[in-house]
Amino acid sequence: MLSVLIWFPCFAAVIIALLPKSLDLKRVRLSALWLSGITLLWTIGLVIQFDLSNPLLQYQESLPWLSDLGLDYQLGIDGLSLPLLILNSLLTWLAIYSSRIDTKRPNLFYALILLISGGVAGAFLAQNLLLFFLFYEVELIPFYLLISIWGGAQQGSAATKFLLYTATSGGLILAGFLGLIWFSEASSFAYDLLLGQTLPLNIQYVLLVLLLLGFGIKTPLVPLHTWLPDTYVAASTPVAMLLGGVLAKLGTYGIFRFCMPLFPEAWSNLSPLLATWAVVSVLYGALAAIAQKDIKRMVAYSSVGHMGYILLAAAAHTQLSIVGAISQMFAHGLILALLFHLVGLIEAKVGTRDLDVLNGLMNPVRGLPLVSALLVLGGMASAGIPGLVGFIAEFLVFQGSYAAFPVQTLLSVVGTGLTAVYFVILLNRTCFGRLDNSLAYFPKVHWDERVPALILTLLIFILGIHPTWLVRWSEPTTTYLVAEAHLSTPAPQSIMANAEFH
Amino acid sequence: MADIVDIAVGSEDFSTLVAAVQAAGLVETLKSPGPFTVFAPTDAAFAQLPAGTIQTLLQNIPQLSRILTFHVTPGKLTQADLQALDSVVSVEGSPIPIQKSEGFEVKNATVVAADIEADNGIIHVLDRVLLMG
Amino acid sequence: MNAVTPTPTKLPPSQHEFAEIIHRLEAGGAMLPDTPENLKQIIGIYKAYAVPMDFYWRNLLYIAERVFLNPLPAFKYFLPQDYLDRHNHYAGEDADLRIWRGEATAHPELLEFMEKGEVKRKLPKLLHHLWHDRINMEFAEACMRAMFWHRNMGGQFDPYLDTEEYVANADRAIKAYFKGNPVMLGLYKLFPDMFIEQVRQLSYYSNLGLFWEVMAPVFFEMSDLYDEGKITTVPEAMSFLVNGIFAIAGRPIYHHVYIRGECYEIIPKSKGFMWLYEAALPYVEAVFYRTSPFRGTKSYNAQAKQVPENQDDFHYGILYADVFPVGSAGIPPTLLMQDMLHFLPPYLVEYYQQYCRGGDDTLIQLGVTFQRSMYCVTSAVIQALRQALLYPLDDPNPEHLQANRAFFEAQLNRLTRPEARLRDIQSQDYR
Repeated sequence: MLSVLIWFPCFAAVIIALLPKSLDLKRVRLSALWLSGITLLWTIGLVIQFDLSNPLLQYQESLPWLSDLGLDYQLGIDGLSLPLLILNSLLTWLAIYSSRIDTKRPNLFYALILLISGGVAGAFLAQNLLLFFLFYEVELIPFYLLISIWGGAQQGSAATKFLLYTATSGGLILAGFLGLIWFSEASSFAYDLLLGQTLPLNIQYVLLVLLLLGFGIKTPLVPLHTWLPDTYVAASTPVAMLLGGVLAKLGTYGIFRFCMPLFPEAWSNLSPLLATWAVVSVLYGALAAIAQKDIKRMVAYSSVGHMGYILLAAAAHTQLSIVGAISQMFAHGLILALLFHLVGLIEAKVGTRDLDVLNGLMNPVRGLPLVSALLVLGGMASAGIPGLVGFIAEFLVFQGSYAAFPVQTLLSVVGTGLTAVYFVILLNRTCFGRLDNSLAYFPKVHWDERVPALILTLLIFILGIHPTWLVRWSEPTTTYLVAEAHLSTPAPQSIMANAEFH
Repeated sequence: MADIVDIAVGSEDFSTLVAAVQAAGLVETLKSPGPFTVFAPTDAAFAQLPAGTIQTLLQNIPQLSRILTFHVTPGKLTQADLQALDSVVSVEGSPIPIQKSEGFEVKNATVVAADIEADNGIIHVLDRVLLMG
Repeated sequence: MNAVTPTPTKLPPSQHEFAEIIHRLEAGGAMLPDTPENLKQIIGIYKAYAVPMDFYWRNLLYIAERVFLNPLPAFKYFLPQDYLDRHNHYAGEDADLRIWRGEATAHPELLEFMEKGEVKRKLPKLLHHLWHDRINMEFAEACMRAMFWHRNMGGQFDPYLDTEEYVANADRAIKAYFKGNPVMLGLYKLFPDMFIEQVRQLSYYSNLGLFWEVMAPVFFEMSDLYDEGKITTVPEAMSFLVNGIFAIAGRPIYHHVYIRGECYEIIPKSKGFMWLYEAALPYVEAVFYRTSPFRGTKSYNAQAKQVPENQDDFHYGILYADVFPVGSAGIPPTLLMQDMLHFLPPYLVEYYQQYCRGGDDTLIQLGVTFQRSMYCVTSAVIQALRQALLYPLDDPNPEHLQANRAFFEAQLNRLTRPEARLRDIQSQDYR
């Protein structure tokens, strides 16, 4: 079952790559859309059959591979990885949908995107540390190519920066994993085997810091974020959607999957520091976003800030905060993909991302009224306006973290306020005001181009109004995760505080 | 000597003007003692107006009168009197500017024959119909 | 009329910012460049404008003459049949001066639209009205209000509204209209000025209605001449307008009210008010140049002097308007564009399909065309004034030519403001 999610996209990538070069571009795109659509349907099928009452791994698959190395093909899915898998399949489909009709070398482009989709799914599914690492690293080269071949301005340096940072991240993680095996003297990299290990505290600290740095680069957390704005800006719209929507989640997923459960004592002891680190990320991201003149860069920095909430929730590690964090990963994926898609549309139609040039796009006849309206909505969702999915996620995070870290939580709430500040700046300059006579000869936005944005908007609305559909998948797992963690250390707060969410 | 109307009727150049004055019922007025200074556009001057202009005015007597009374000013003002002035006020109410140029020009019209004396005033012949504004 | 034939200029070149346009005007041209594309656009839009205008003038006169001071004029846009059948004085067999060879009654396209509307279905009139599937009289009223609000734009009509004679005439009509209605008569006793002011506004309804009664047949005839190939250049179109302005100049402007079958002359024809001085020139000043800031997506702050203190300094008319905020809060221009959209000749529909967003932004494209066409009308007004008040273009006297040039330059000085669209319309790319 689960292997399909990994290998079908890879198989699809091969098919696309082998399609004759002479084939019409639209056909290639359509094939990619169909193939990724099948993956999406498969994921939905999994969701339907997912057993909500089981907090543990489901659909487990295990094949011996290189058992001498401790590397086995072990897959499984639980409430933590399920939402991210859905996000991955959905955003891959939408990214392909939102790719430009005139993409050059389409075969390679779509093949790489599908390959990434398979790799990311593998990372979310892997229940073996080394296997996880392999899938984690497999994304690197396709993304590098996607950025450097199809990227915008300065794509070369951006792609190199991305490659260097991500390779470093991989190295740190590998070091952490190896250290874990080394010190725990485990016979294999199997995740469940390593869960119960208890290491001396100072070794835990070292390994935890290694992993945190590794995942912190990917997430990214300040000050490890410097690759992000350049990379996001240089990447074309579909690639940016995938980078921000899915790839960044690998970092936070790693924190929840590995850092937190594998080193519970160290995690508990370090958590105040981590919460403070989260606040720095949140505030830095927001303030940097306010200073931007380029709307894509603004959205990129907003991502830095919003990923900080997830670290805050992880530091607090209450049941509510973890549900919030998983929701935030999902919500942020939707919102960021929407924002990147819309910014990409604006750039394609207006020809600029400069805040000082953009104006009056709300104009009903000559502007981009629907795009502007959705951008307003995306901004609202990102700033956590109630009724939209961003509010649910952020509220859960804050609610869950407040008891553990009141000061940090309140400062993060300030960060949400700052989100509203830069989105008001963005929206006010971009959408409102009077459309400039001399500029306003933009091409029409076709319905086709609006579809991804409309789908994302619909989800943002539905999950915002009916959040149960978002949190129900992860609740049993988080309850279990927290209970496990609290077996060894006293909880900073009672689980019962969250009773109203059941 | 003849009065203003008699002089106009007696000349071949003023048939349109005379017809208009008759239509507007201003004959009696112009026969009264006055005295008046009349700026009289020739037939050629009326002919310069685009087709229909006169027709519409003849259908609307008050409006026609307004145009005609713009060509009349009270008092008996000779060329010498007029050229000493910047403008005179017409019977219609609007001012008629007198140009300070070499020739004798009233507003945008040139006087082709000046100082034609009548019993009850004086006539200056214009090459263009005067319009207010 | 020899305005069309270009004459060799004896004057040195103009040093004005718009020297090229000045020279064009001196050669008998228009502010709008003479291209077949421009000609097609302006003639097409004149036709599309004339059809709703045929409704505007009838309805304006209906409100001025019949609805009068009705305190609840909910049905003032429901034009009775006799006003649709009312004969235009400048079209049809019995015209005072036949400008258009067509019928004197309401235009057939107008009647068809009034019956079926945009939805192309015969529904109760009230439904069409509420769905706004109708001629947008609100635009006509906005023009009227612009004239009424600015006032003092020359002519004798406006000062007359403040005379005792006018107030006495209005008083008689008000008392007759509210005869047997003690409530309204009591209110009139309490607030006489308010009622008089309302009547003044109604006088402007009449003024504008009488003005447009002339323009509709002028535009129809131009469209027909173009279709027959008898108007082939922009200067020819402009000259037709100049001749029309002269021909109709003497048409009386008045305000009559009919109350229970009796006619009350609030402004009698005998006042001698003329179409040119008392309606056309104030209209051009009020609607083409001044109007008032309409709220697009931009809001104006009067305290911050974003709106001029002096009404004379207002420049929000069609010659300056930013046509792009169509469909936003700036309703009056949008309403006109919506009205014209229903009556575009096929060649313009096809033309708009080829540019910008095709059918999606036709409203803006035709708005820009309308702007071009109004630059042509303004050129005609300028040339007509030059002809009436100054000298022929081929005058041998250089002093006269200099006076003409000074006049043209003074007129164009009003269009040097940054928001004026004179620069834009020189290029075909402004759509």
